[in-house]
Parts: sequence; structure tokens; C-alpha cells
Amino acid sequence: MLVLGIETTCDETAAAVVSRDAEGRGEIRSNIVLSQLDEHRPFGGVVPEIAARAHVEQLDLIIKKAMAEPGLMFSDLDGIAAAAGPGLIGGLIVGLTTAKAIALGAGKPLIAVNHLEAHALTARLTHGLAFPFLLLLVSGGHTQLVAVEDVGSYRVIGSTADDAIGEAFDKTAKMLRLPYPGGPEVESMAKKGNPKRFALPRPMLGRPEPDFSLSGLKTAVRLEAERIAPLSNEDVADLCASFQAAIIDVVLDRVRTALSAMRAAKRAPNALVIAGGVAVNRAIRGALQLLSTEIGIPLVLPPPELCTDNGAMIAWAGAERLARGLTDAFDASPRARWPLDGAGTRPKESAGG
Amino acid sequence: MLVLAIDTALDACSAAVLDADAEALLAAQTLDIDRGHAEALIPLVERVMKVAGVGFEAIDRIVTTVGPGSFTGLRVGISAARGFALVTGKPAVGVTTLAALAAPHLSESDAVPVVAAIDARHGNLYLQMFGSGGRSLVAARACGLREAVRAVALGPVRIVGSAAEMLAAHWPANATPPLAVEPRGAPEIIWVARLGAAADPRQAMPRPLYLRPAEARPQETQHLPRR
Repeated sequence: MLVLGIETTCDETAAAVVSRDAEGRGEIRSNIVLSQLDEHRPFGGVVPEIAARAHVEQLDLIIKKAMAEPGLMFSDLDGIAAAAGPGLIGGLIVGLTTAKAIALGAGKPLIAVNHLEAHALTARLTHGLAFPFLLLLVSGGHTQLVAVEDVGSYRVIGSTADDAIGEAFDKTAKMLRLPYPGGPEVESMAKKGNPKRFALPRPMLGRPEPDFSLSGLKTAVRLEAERIAPLSNEDVADLCASFQAAIIDVVLDRVRTALSAMRAAKRAPNALVIAGGVAVNRAIRGALQLLSTEIGIPLVLPPPELCTDNGAMIAWAGAERLARGLTDAFDASPRARWPLDGAGTRPKESAGG
Repeated sequence: MLVLAIDTALDACSAAVLDADAEALLAAQTLDIDRGHAEALIPLVERVMKVAGVGFEAIDRIVTTVGPGSFTGLRVGISAARGFALVTGKPAVGVTTLAALAAPHLSESDAVPVVAAIDARHGNLYLQMFGSGGRSLVAARACGLREAVRAVALGPVRIVGSAAEMLAAHWPANATPPLAVEPRGAPEIIWVARLGAAADPRQAMPRPLYLRPAEARPQETQHLPRR
């Protein structure tokens, strides 16, 4: 089956076509992503109204490209999927409404996809991974450890009490006057720095529940920086390195705890999967690689372009749901908040349509 | 020519199918809602198409209002229109809410100018004045009540739109009072369809007419001093 996927939850306007064969193997036929980085850069972060304005101007052109690349017509498709949440409501409305119009106009089913579910299922597209697996979802908006048990069956076993990891990276970058977007800048500065110079806290380390809390770490970075200001380039590099080292220690500890919990519950995962924008960070990827070898669990790292927001993951999640007969009615709501284990991702609560 | 018209920019969610050559409205429905357009519109279009008894392959043109109005609402209509245009391969055109509000009055008679005035909340209006032949006498703008009065209270006019009464209530004592005041929360969908049928289909895809910049200020974070 062929599914078109539309992603407009934040600051990328994206569309893709993905195929899924009878054995459940996926193939990306096209994957077009237009980033709005330049529009948001002057504001040092994503501005919701600016994002919505950019989506409505560009989305149909991006979809057109995604269809033209593999030479497909809308009549060739089996379903139209769009991320219906969670995310910025202005963008969600544009993406979901466009998907509904295409679905109605082409006489195809609509699949309203949870953006987090799409991140969760990406490893099945790229690696054909079998359930269950443990997902570490780390981005600017989300930080979660999820037991992925089946399509529509997710248990969030760890989440953050305050900031997302990507958010902590961005705020640290902003504090240190690094360019936007800050995550990659912190990573590249960290490479040149001494991770042991500053003794930063490792919040939640050793706690029995695999949750996160990042705001204390962010504050600690600020206090250290204020203590030694004005900052030299070397100071900034050392702060970044020390910050990233703390993040890595926390991530490794929280992943270990989550793995133990899944194993103790006799639901030993087949793999550890990492997704989300922060999954592009090489230091974090490297550290998780070592951990996977040490404790004997395969690590699945989707390619960077499928870790950040994209349409292929939405199309794939749409295909997985469609293959199980899960479709949505044309009055489906965009949802700014939509927890992965909340109503609407579970099969029984999906409306026919 | 069959035109599918939609409007979600103001306090209604409307869809219609117009046979422009026969001047026959095949189907039209309007829901009086000021929110929930994203949920309501596509099922509404589905019903209207069913009542009209036509499939999307028969539609020759899609028309949508592009604002000014609710930013979120107008994006629902534009997203849908551009989506329908993609899937049918037919042109989509945009008409402004101001022109669609003024159109029935101008069609009756264009001897007296028509002011379309939409309540933009907090004492602000979206405003445009039209004269003979639909010519724009005062360009579309977002402004405060006082500026609105100054711009249009020059002679006899008719006023239409959700801010019609507000504007009339603040009319200067020394100016000719408005000849007609019609409070309307949204344009009649048939006039959206008619204006769309008359529009140049070679125009670019419908784009939002916000009349106001996005609310956004460069972030002022506390930076630490650098050496």
C-alpha cells in the first residue's frame, strides 16, 4: 500500500510517500522537508504564528513535490496521513485540513497520526524491527522513554518533569550566546571543551522511576557561567562539554533503569531505539552505542533525517494503522496536547471513516 | 462552470456548489460557528457535494475566502482549497471577506459606496470601502475605530459587516448618516462563489490576507558577558 504523510507540528513543512508491502516491509518513495529555520532565527526560537503562516504558504507545494518525485497520482494512494498532534495548533490545522481535503477529493481514507507514535514506529520502517522495543524519544519538545508494544499500544515509562533535553540544549546555547538553533552548536563546542572542568549535577540519577528533570542542570550551568563571567571561548567550550557530559550520564542511567523495568516485567525489548532531534547528537549516539554493547541489547539508530521531524514517519505510521484498519473520520480534531498513551492511539478508540 | 466555494474566515463555516453559467446554486450550507472550523469544514463540503449530486471530477474551480478574519479560521479554508486544487488539478482562487460582504449591496446598486467593516476585537476593525463597479475607494486595512470613521465618513455610504453597528454608532454628527447598516457575521456563501467564478483563474494560489503582522518579538534573553 502507498500512503502520503504530512507533517506540520512545529517548524518543518514536510510531506512524503511511503509504501508498505504485505509482509510489513516499508520503503520511502519520497521525503520532502522544508525547514523554517530562517523565519524563526531572528526570534531565537519557534514563533507559533510565524510557523502557521509559513506552513499554509508552502504545504501544497511540498506535497506536490513528494508526489511528483516517484511519479504518483493521488488515485495511486491507499491513504492520506497527517500528524494531528501533539504540536503547535496553527500548523496542525493546516496539515490536517489539507490531508482531509485530499482524502475527500481523492476518495481515500484519512489517518490522523500521533506525531510521537510516528517517531516510535520509524524503526520498523528503517529496520523492520519487531515489537516490543524501548524507545528513547528526545527532541526540543519531548523527552520520553516508551515501551512500544504494538501499533497503538505504548506505555510511557519515563518522561521529564520540566524541560525537554533539546530545550535544555537550546537554552544553554542561548545563555552562552551561541547561534540558533543551539543544539548542534552546543555539541560542536563541547567537542573542543573539557567535560570535567565543571561539576554539574546529574538530576534524577539512580531514581527507581526512569524519569528526567533538566531545569536544575540548566540553572547549574548558568550559575557556573555567571561565576566565571566574562566568558572566553574556552570557558564556553568547557561549559558545553560539561553540560553535555551531564546529559549523557543522565540519559544512560535513565535508559538502564527503563530497560531493567521492562525486563523485570517480562517484556524484554528486542532493541533500544532512539528518535527525535536530539538523536542526531553524535556524543549521545556514541554513548548509547557503548551502553548497548555493554548490556547486550541491539541499538537501532534511524538515519538523522528520519530522527528529526519528517513526513516519511507520518506516512509510515499511517500505513501501519491503515494495515490494521485504523482510519479516522473527517471531523477528526487537531490536538495540541496528545499523550502517546492517551485516547485515540489505541485501536479500539479509533473512529471508522 | 461548477464552482466549489468555502468560507471559514469569520463567524461561520460555509460551503456551496454553484453552477456559474446557469446561475444556479446546486447546494449551500452554513453553520453559525465562531470556532471548530477545522473539524466542521470537510464534513460540510462532503454533505454539500452530496446534495449537489456532483463528484470532485466535475468541479472546475475552487474558491475560498482568504481573510481578513480569524487567522486560524482563514487558514482552514485556504488549506482545504489548496488541498482540493491539488487533488482535482483545478485552479483555486481567493476572494476577500470584505469584497464578499460588500458584493450583494454593490450588485443591488453601486451609486452609493459600500463600507465592509469587520470587528477585529479590542476596538479594531478590518475595513474597506467600495464604489461603482466594485472599485476600491478606501483600501483594505486594519485600524482603530477613530481612524475607520475618519477614512469612510465622507459622504453617504452603506455599511455591512460585524462592525457595521459599531461604526454607525460612532458616526460624526456633522456627516451624512449611513443610508443602510447591515450587521453580518460572515459573507453569504453564494457571493463568495460568484466572486470566485468571476476571478481570474490564472492568479496564484489563494494566500492569506491577514492585514496584521504575526505577533512576535525578538527574544530578549539575558546573555552572559563574553570576553
